[in-house]
Amino acid sequence: MTHDKRLGKTRFAALVTTLVLALTFLFPTGAFALTTNKATARPNEKGGSGVIGGLDTRLTWEGTVEGGEQVSSIVLTLPGNGSFDGASTKITALEGLSRANVEGEATAAGNTLTVDFSEPVSEGLLLRLEVEGMRFPSEGGDIVVSGTYVNQSGEQQLADSKPIKTIANTALQQMVAALDASPAVEAWNSNPFLGMFFKPQLMLTALFSLVPGWLLCLMIVVIAYPFAIILGLIFALMKISKHPLLRGIAIVYINILRGTPLFLQIYIMFFGLPMMNINIDNNVLGVIVIAINASAYLAEIFRAGIQSIPQGQYEAASSLGMSYFQTMFSIILPQTVRRVIPTVTSDFITSYKDTSLLSSVGVMELMMFSKNLTSVSGNMTPYVAAAIFYLVVTLPLIKVVTIVENRMAHAERGGGHRPKAKTAAAQGDSQDESSAAGTAVHAEALEPEASTMGSALTSLSPATAQEV
Amino acid sequence: MSNNIAKLSRRSFIKSSALSALALGALAACGSKESDDNAASTPANDAADTAAEEYTLVQEGKLIVASDLDFPPLDSFENSTPQGFDVDLSNEIAARLGLECEYLPPQDFDSIIPMIKQGGKADIGNSAFSITPERELEIDFTEPYLDSNLGVAVKKDLGISGGEEAIVNALNASDMTVAVQAGTTGEAWARENLPEATIVPLASVTVCMTGVSTGQYQAFCADLPVIGHQCTVSFTDCEIALEIPTGEQYGIVVSKDNPGLTAAINKALADMEADGTMDELKSKWFGE
Repeated sequence: MTHDKRLGKTRFAALVTTLVLALTFLFPTGAFALTTNKATARPNEKGGSGVIGGLDTRLTWEGTVEGGEQVSSIVLTLPGNGSFDGASTKITALEGLSRANVEGEATAAGNTLTVDFSEPVSEGLLLRLEVEGMRFPSEGGDIVVSGTYVNQSGEQQLADSKPIKTIANTALQQMVAALDASPAVEAWNSNPFLGMFFKPQLMLTALFSLVPGWLLCLMIVVIAYPFAIILGLIFALMKISKHPLLRGIAIVYINILRGTPLFLQIYIMFFGLPMMNINIDNNVLGVIVIAINASAYLAEIFRAGIQSIPQGQYEAASSLGMSYFQTMFSIILPQTVRRVIPTVTSDFITSYKDTSLLSSVGVMELMMFSKNLTSVSGNMTPYVAAAIFYLVVTLPLIKVVTIVENRMAHAERGGGHRPKAKTAAAQGDSQDESSAAGTAVHAEALEPEASTMGSALTSLSPATAQEV
Repeated sequence: MSNNIAKLSRRSFIKSSALSALALGALAACGSKESDDNAASTPANDAADTAAEEYTLVQEGKLIVASDLDFPPLDSFENSTPQGFDVDLSNEIAARLGLECEYLPPQDFDSIIPMIKQGGKADIGNSAFSITPERELEIDFTEPYLDSNLGVAVKKDLGISGGEEAIVNALNASDMTVAVQAGTTGEAWARENLPEATIVPLASVTVCMTGVSTGQYQAFCADLPVIGHQCTVSFTDCEIALEIPTGEQYGIVVSKDNPGLTAAINKALADMEADGTMDELKSKWFGE
């Protein structure tokens, strides 16, 4: 475009330009006295990595002045409705790695940016133009930055940059733009606290862009937990076993894992294993660390649960001729499960929150995404958005724990959970149970089958507990 | 004690509002004359200059500095004492302002600018902050005190070589994981120039370098002096694969509500430049 304008001005210029163009075609790269090294754009997609057209971003253009040349001005041109209007340009010239003193003035006019240097830039210098607040064409696409420059022999064509990938505006960004424009939002943000922790624009983008991290958190803890339960159970049984070696191993395992910060365990696993040439995918490693850590806590929970089952239960079981394992798996553990559910749920909540520590070693989970957003925006709102994602899971679970605990307290007071044919039903409607308790006991007495042995023993527990 | 602080902050509030009113006045006056944004900054600076020495501090008589102290040779925390070029600089500035320099314990790099912006904890942030327009939206920078560039560290046996372009192309692949320190210009460079690679922002240089050294991440992009120091002193199995000339400059971070302090530090920096103290510091920490 600029090219056309200049053609109209003087014939001489036209002649020179044609000559240069011809030369350019003859010598594709060698002819450039100012070579274009690169042109890149800062991603301006909130919570993403795309470069969006029509929104402010920063263009970084670099070129080297070749031997025997002096460049006095540069014109950069964007295609379509790309715009430099309102942009500020930082000019840096470097000789190797040290800054050279080059001053210049940039004037923007629509899709062209003219940089005039106060003194011609001499050979061998790397010129770096950082244009902050420019906009690429709003329709997106692969954008080539072209232009011209002036050296001692006149105006020359600049080599086209490699295309910069840009995208058209997204619906989310449009919503953000609408929030940006709203005076109510501006008033809200003018309060330093609200603006720092509850900025609506960022909250919106964060809620969208944190989802993959949230799913990864959930995935890690949901996969890790069954393993943690199995491991925990094994170590719990080992810890109460009579065999001193098994007991020793379990005690060391549990105490070391419970006695050191998870942070440390993560570092050891993530940096230690690769040093021993064991390379495991980061996410899998995350699952392993969380599972191992949770298993130590679960082992203690299970041990306490098992040991809280009164001795009378063991005696009753052995009087029926049951072996140790029979006693454990059909008498003791089923009762333990009921007792440990609230504590295990609490531990699940802890493990879910603990996944946040994995961000420190680069697992792309919830905190990592929020940290990304925060470091780009310098605002704390993404962390608040992350808190919402944690609460979405933890609040319902906390509610569940409360309900289960209330029911258990109710049962302990003798209010509910009388012997009954089906234990599952007993959990469902313990409220009605107190009134119907008498009939339940009666019904139980009429069913002396072996299959109800477990629940029959359960019915003994409150009484025996008081005796012991 | 608390009463004292309350008084101070009330006073500081009046001062800062007076200052911002001044600055606003200057801006408005300028705005009516011409609409050029760049021209507006000069009168505003003048307003700050006339108010020089009129600054507020979190604690009277003390210049409290926030730094990540994990960026040797610029900032480090050896034997629980802050050390490095920036630390000497802060001490010298404080001495010239007649203040006692006090460092906060090491802070996360990306939390320092929000901290200075919010105020109340530290007076300045001095942690090798490159002056960038995005950061200037949040806080004020003093005049630049040091030039810097970026670099990329890789493990020696990674096996990428060639010119700058070849290395950037090799790193810009979906199977590459590039560690950066959160909130740094190294992170911005990686996001802009390596869009295909996975960028992992971490808290500290040491974690980044350990990750590169163990093969967790393929590369680490940060300020060249720091990378150079890490590759020669701490992680000798790593090397600088790429030197990126960016010509960025470090400035000290001051709250926008405290233009008097910015002006006072600028004066101290200019004096240090003039009497050769700055050159002494540079040769102490960077050789030459």
